[in-house]
Amino acid sequence: MSGESVLDEVPGDLMMWILIISEFLVFGAGLVAFLSVRLTDPVGFAQAQDMLDRTGAGINTIVLVTSGFLAALAHRLRLSGARRKARLALVAAAMLGAVFLWIKGREYAEKAAEGIGWDTHPFFNFYYMLTGLHAAHVVAGVLLLLLVAWRDAPENIEDASAFWHMVDLVWVLLFPVVYLLR
Amino acid sequence: MSNRTLHIAWGTLVVLSLGATLLSFADIWAIWPIPAGMAVLALAWLKARIILSQYLGLAAAPFWRRGFEFALAALCLLLLGLYLLPIIR
Repeated sequence: MSGESVLDEVPGDLMMWILIISEFLVFGAGLVAFLSVRLTDPVGFAQAQDMLDRTGAGINTIVLVTSGFLAALAHRLRLSGARRKARLALVAAAMLGAVFLWIKGREYAEKAAEGIGWDTHPFFNFYYMLTGLHAAHVVAGVLLLLLVAWRDAPENIEDASAFWHMVDLVWVLLFPVVYLLR
Repeated sequence: MSNRTLHIAWGTLVVLSLGATLLSFADIWAIWPIPAGMAVLALAWLKARIILSQYLGLAAAPFWRRGFEFALAALCLLLLGLYLLPIIR
């Protein structure tokens, strides 16, 4: 009888996968709730959505997937012994995370200047809750990437990269649902 | 996974992201909201699959990849159903 379990197949740390599954479920439930509430007022949701910056959100998608690429590359570079290049890739990934936050912050500031807040419409309840929670994860991810650029053991880089890819995964699902579907 | 595969994954993600962003500018939402919604969610599903298999390394873990892909497909279909309800009723 083989002692191998399917758990041994999981790349990286099992705890990180438990976190990824938890986040997937939380954001998935949030998106389902968003579209369920939209059923009560599809016209109002479409009008509210038209106030968002779709171009900025599209640019942010490219920024995040590029940052994810650099984080994945950093892990490979570290495994191949290219430590300095791996650190540079991690810092570049973190900088792109900061770019994402700057674009997102600009969008929040524009909404605030237009007098749009949390309670303007149910659409904006979900918009601020979902994008705000995601942005909080981006902040955590940027700090993690910088931390593992310093403490650069391969397993540290693998775990931080997995967290960052989870942030990426959530955004590619959140972006079309909140910004595009109308 | 080779570095080439990683580069291809990134390039594909950028192209798919550009495709979704371009769809947001198109006039098709007023004329054909159903195909537009399906296209946008299909692009999201493809991007999420690439992130899971190539960035997160599930390509090397078939059992887990199948499980995640099933959950992802179920979520995307549920989101599509909820999006379509106000249009078709």
